[in-house]
Amino acid sequence: MAAVYKTLSSLSSHKKEAEERKYKQRVLILSSRGVTYRHRHLLQDLYSLMPHSRKEAKLDTKTKLYQLNELAELYNCNNVLFFEARKGKDLYAWMSKAPNGPTVKMHLQNLHTMEELNFIGNCLKGSRPILSFDASFEKQAHLRVIKELFTQIFGVPKSSRKVKPFVDHVMGFTIADGKIWIRVYQISESEPGKKKPTADGEMMDLDPALKKGKKTEMDVSLVEIGPRFVLTPIVILESSFGGPVIFENKEFVSPNQIRADLRRAKAGRYNRRTEAALESKIKRGGLGLSTHGGRKKEKDPLSDHVLFA
Amino acid sequence: MARSKLKGALDQYKGRDIKLEKQRKKEKEARKRNEKSRKERVESEEDEDEEVGGIYLVEEAAVKANGKTNKGKKNDMVEKVADEEAEWETEESDDDEEGSEEEEEDDILERAIFDMSRLEDSDSEGSSDDNAEEHNQEGSDDEAEEEEEDIPLSDIESLASEDKGDVIPHQRLTINNTSALLAALQRIQLPYSKMLFSEHQSVTTDEPVEMPDVEDDLNRELAFYSQSLAAVKDARAKLKKEGVQFTRPVDYFAEMVKSEEHMGKIKQKMIDEAAGKKAAAEARRQRDLKKFGKQVQVAKMQERAKEKRDTLEKINLLKRKRQGADLTNTNEGDLFDIELENAAKASHRRKGDGKPNAKRQKKDAKYGFGGKKRHAKSNDAISSANMSGYSLKKMREGRLGKKGGGASKRLGKSRRAKSV
Repeated sequence: MAAVYKTLSSLSSHKKEAEERKYKQRVLILSSRGVTYRHRHLLQDLYSLMPHSRKEAKLDTKTKLYQLNELAELYNCNNVLFFEARKGKDLYAWMSKAPNGPTVKMHLQNLHTMEELNFIGNCLKGSRPILSFDASFEKQAHLRVIKELFTQIFGVPKSSRKVKPFVDHVMGFTIADGKIWIRVYQISESEPGKKKPTADGEMMDLDPALKKGKKTEMDVSLVEIGPRFVLTPIVILESSFGGPVIFENKEFVSPNQIRADLRRAKAGRYNRRTEAALESKIKRGGLGLSTHGGRKKEKDPLSDHVLFA
Repeated sequence: MARSKLKGALDQYKGRDIKLEKQRKKEKEARKRNEKSRKERVESEEDEDEEVGGIYLVEEAAVKANGKTNKGKKNDMVEKVADEEAEWETEESDDDEEGSEEEEEDDILERAIFDMSRLEDSDSEGSSDDNAEEHNQEGSDDEAEEEEEDIPLSDIESLASEDKGDVIPHQRLTINNTSALLAALQRIQLPYSKMLFSEHQSVTTDEPVEMPDVEDDLNRELAFYSQSLAAVKDARAKLKKEGVQFTRPVDYFAEMVKSEEHMGKIKQKMIDEAAGKKAAAEARRQRDLKKFGKQVQVAKMQERAKEKRDTLEKINLLKRKRQGADLTNTNEGDLFDIELENAAKASHRRKGDGKPNAKRQKKDAKYGFGGKKRHAKSNDAISSANMSGYSLKKMREGRLGKKGGGASKRLGKSRRAKSV
């Protein structure tokens, strides 16, 4: 009987384990060469917010991104978060499910790291975040894919090794203006009677005994932690860093194009002026003021210039 | 084309693109047709489903199936996979067919997998999608997905109109292969319905977050904040229900995301900021006080100086008058009083006359006025109105003197000569 029980219980526990292992997520975080210090700090911030992530040295190549798949396999990661820096100013974020896709490429703008934001929020390193999504994510297929990727990459799995047991921060993903805005807040609870928390870490100073005894409803407020950034989806590929393009955002204009347009708009002024000058010259010629029938006027033999030369 | 050139120019001016509009109209028609056919198909498939016992392609549906029969579940799953694959095959061919249809309709359209969902028709598209979801028939929905093409010219709208001539519009084709996207989603999606909330901890709002103006920083951040706050409240209730620890106890210390050093820096910054604000307020207060205090002081000094000047003037005036006046007058005290009064009056009048002060007068007397000398002795309105020379008293005195034998009359020449 005992043996039967043992086998049964072991079986069930084994099953449970298997179930848990199913949702295991590990994220490989790395960047390309040529990132600025702000990009590096962002990477650091995200790494500290994601206990299930593995940071890697900068990737040398910007073209052979499929190498990332091997790298992810090497480190046992099933998600890749890759930051590609271009021209030392533009940052692109790639999110991928490592072995066989899909991959999302996004343009990262309006970046503010924790370091420079000076927000007073703080949270445990390794606590699991609540992910808050805008309902617009459910409206379109590509956004659903992106949402799923966000959930798996930024959501810390329960079974992660370095995870801590409390929930004290929330990540907000909102779609506005065709872009995805990301914010991170600390959750601070305080008793209703009490005044607003004094920020830093002191808002937790409530009496646990009182809480247990009366079970009062706590006031929940948020304090921003940082970082802040905005993502514009550009392309979704079917497999991991390769494969056919299954979504392309036509509204995205590359920053290079914007810069070029600006330059060209400036150059346009000069072009217009020179053109106008040329035009007026031709017009004058056509009126016969300085030319005669398309040829230059002959010199008048009686003009002052000739007579008194 | 019967359309005149002028009309064409007008259209161009108004920004209408006849070609594009036509194309769109055709596409709309095509979509309508597709939808109709799809609906029919859906209905027929539903019938089938009832017969077979459910071939569901979306996992929500799969969950439903769980409730039905436990045994049939595995079979269903197998079937599902097989069916999916089969569907994929058919989809490809379907795509081709539809593409050729479109080609017939409009030779501008390329045979490719594009979607118009971004354009103005996106609403109808969305609603149709929703319908499909309600029917739990996304798999069949896929094959009815549109393949269209659109060429946006809107990328250079931001430029000034006169500069547009120089810029070649870059045209980006929208690729939105919804079926492939959904397939990819299905491949990676976690089975949320089977998971506890505490395993994924993701909350989606009921309503899309509305934002009237993205540039408005305050309201935008407020929208983000309220979205997250609502999510936290929701998640907190769910987690409490599942018995997951939520609040960090006071005595739980662990490494934080921001180090002590960083927090110290932030605190220092806040303190500095507060101190700076306080110092600025204090400085302003002091400055105001100083300014006001100075004003008061200056006023007091002026008052004092004026008093002093007035008294001195009075005394001087008196002195001069006493010097010049005859000493025959009897009652000195009375006289003094009167004359003091007069002096005061005189000084007041003098102020009114607009004459310069005593110092100036002194200087003028010493160095000359330096102004114009003309008309100095001629009368003007002020001098003619000046009654200072007129004194009833003196006149009376004179008369009394005459009577009393005061001032003698000028004598004749002989007598005068005699006396001298």
